[in-house]
Amino acid sequence: MAGCLTAIAIATASTANEDGLDRWWSPGEGRVFPATLDYPNEHGVLRTLLVGGALDTRGHPFFEPIGPTGRACVTCHQPADGMSLSAKTAAARWDQTGGTDPLFAAYDGSNCPLLPQGDRASHSLLIERGLIRIEREWPVKKWNELDVTPDFKIEVVRDPNGCNSGPHYGPEAGIISVYRRPRPVANLKYLLAVGFAYDPKQGLPLPLDPDTGEPMSGNLMADDRAGNLRLQMEDASATHLRMLSRLGKRDRELIRNFEMRVYAAQYVGKGGAVDDGGASGGPAALRDSEPGALGSIGFPVWGEFEAWETIGEVDKAKLTPEQIEFRRSVARGARIFREKTFLITDSAGITTPMGFGNPVRNACNFCHNMTRMGNDVAPGQVDLGTTTLPFADPFDDLPLFRITCLNDPHPYYGRTFETYDPGFALTTGRCADVGKITLQSMRGLAARAPYFSNGLAKDLEAVVDYYERRYRIGYTEQEKQDLINLMSVL
Amino acid sequence: MRALSALLALVAPASLLAHETGDLVEFVSCPVYRDTDAGRKSGCWLAYDGASGTRWDVSQSPYKPDYNFAVLVEGRVSAEAGTLCGAAVLDPVRTSRLSIRCPAHMLPAEGFPGRKYSLPERNIAPLAVQRDAPPGPYKARKFYTFFEFDRDFLVYQYDDYLLDKAVTWIKAAQPKKLIVTGFAATEPVIISGRPLAERPETAESRARRVSLALSRLLPGIEIETRWQTGSLPVDAIDADGLPMQSQRRTEIEAVF
Repeated sequence: MAGCLTAIAIATASTANEDGLDRWWSPGEGRVFPATLDYPNEHGVLRTLLVGGALDTRGHPFFEPIGPTGRACVTCHQPADGMSLSAKTAAARWDQTGGTDPLFAAYDGSNCPLLPQGDRASHSLLIERGLIRIEREWPVKKWNELDVTPDFKIEVVRDPNGCNSGPHYGPEAGIISVYRRPRPVANLKYLLAVGFAYDPKQGLPLPLDPDTGEPMSGNLMADDRAGNLRLQMEDASATHLRMLSRLGKRDRELIRNFEMRVYAAQYVGKGGAVDDGGASGGPAALRDSEPGALGSIGFPVWGEFEAWETIGEVDKAKLTPEQIEFRRSVARGARIFREKTFLITDSAGITTPMGFGNPVRNACNFCHNMTRMGNDVAPGQVDLGTTTLPFADPFDDLPLFRITCLNDPHPYYGRTFETYDPGFALTTGRCADVGKITLQSMRGLAARAPYFSNGLAKDLEAVVDYYERRYRIGYTEQEKQDLINLMSVL
Repeated sequence: MRALSALLALVAPASLLAHETGDLVEFVSCPVYRDTDAGRKSGCWLAYDGASGTRWDVSQSPYKPDYNFAVLVEGRVSAEAGTLCGAAVLDPVRTSRLSIRCPAHMLPAEGFPGRKYSLPERNIAPLAVQRDAPPGPYKARKFYTFFEFDRDFLVYQYDDYLLDKAVTWIKAAQPKKLIVTGFAATEPVIISGRPLAERPETAESRARRVSLALSRLLPGIEIETRWQTGSLPVDAIDADGLPMQSQRRTEIEAVF
């Protein structure tokens, strides 16, 4: 029955072939991006919707190789991966092309340009962890058009790839390399939405968009280095696409237009279509809903699956016992996400300094609070410990930095501590922001493992396990599975 | 456990004998978190005043403690029975985080129910909610924001609410300019045997932070930024009758 439901769901949309070629979108192919596009994954099927109908990608700057590398935006924002890029896809692409695809360009598709580029090992962070190299200028000099003088010092403790200590690289050379997952370019109206004019984590009203004068959400990039789409595009084109001149205004408008039209979410899970039986999962509800609403005062976060708490006789008759139990599990997972509270401790951006206290008892939706998306209505730079010791797991293949706070010590790590990625602090220059990362979008998770900014969690189980270890929540095995099932249908 | 709770409820008023409702209490202490686990944000914050031998419930502070750091407590004795958290209640109250490390300490609920979370009175509405223009006539007026000890951070569900009220009025009143003055309580006072004084530069950083905030909320309006040390208490309603809180402020003056 499950297979039957899946087949029905997919039959109405353009569907990828299973041969692996159609799944990968190469720059300049000139394919038509259909209004509805489905790709299977291990949890079911991800659906991408394009508002306004199909798009002929010929000549479109999101899809054309507009820089010298042969890459386009689509290289790292693949439709099958929820407009992001999974490690599995990167590995398959290496195997298909022997590493000749522009994805593996030396600049950021390898662990470091200084390494021999023909070796698979030189691209291990991308192939095994889905990580792209991000180059940040150091010391940061400005943020939101205000002068910045960093209040911390960075030293390189370990540099397994050469990009933080080799010739012309590293803090001494004014360049810090960190390694992060590409963020999905879909459902952007939610990521750009502003529910309140005030950012409680910064203790300030939101910064204003230099182009429109409107408040900026702060939810676009892992370290909030670009607050609007123009700045993000300019950053990406200058770095990932290696363009020497700025992306033109017309190209930016075309890319923005496309990105604002794309919605991506899991459409079929192990319980069948996610908008069946009274549920309202999937990308259509995302497309049709208002962004920026706080779940605690409106439509609850993951209330999409409330109808699956009680499955009626009509639905029971057409579902297998496994599907029925899966749906119930998803509904329980949504409640656990909202209602199972735990003590959040020593997590900058949550427990300090905005006034909640440390510890503070709350549930997952304390931070993942936006209706239908689970990102943060207030800008979401928080420190879960995923990039910073002692909380982060050992990552022998990532650089390790020693941070020394020059003024006040970090509230939880002290004056000197170690991190794989200073995160938001590379943007603000503030020691108290080291380890803070923008909350990730929770849609389309099934299509784009691994998770967290540095790929620390290889699958959905590992996400739950990390939270369990970090905050000693005490989830039962059933609760863990319910949360995993919930995340698999987002 | 119920018996213990009842016993503590009886004991709590006894420790209040030295205090009358409304009395001002100020001390420095390591805070203790009581995990009353009555849902989100339901934990209790307790702090012990060694001078009077009283453990106080300081949970009603708009900025809650961090159990890794000592707090400066300033509050007034509440008439509320100390049965929710197991300690006499200070309300209104402030708990400023100090840079003095404390051993993180947490107590179980021990039968105390804690307080179910409810939205504080000072919370701002989402942007989608229309702000009604306050009635005129409009004339020179001052607004205030308040801070933790020696900090310039504008606190959620306190300062954002105060700023939102000020900005709504300013947008309607259209003053010629704003004068933002930051104050710091730089004259030392002895509390729990410790001399406490804010750094002089805090006055400037408070003024600059509020000016930046206003420049984002009211782009285009002229803002003059000043600062002043040696702050004295003022009678400002949102300082809740706590003199030290009123010293740690900025004044936003609308000039016509």
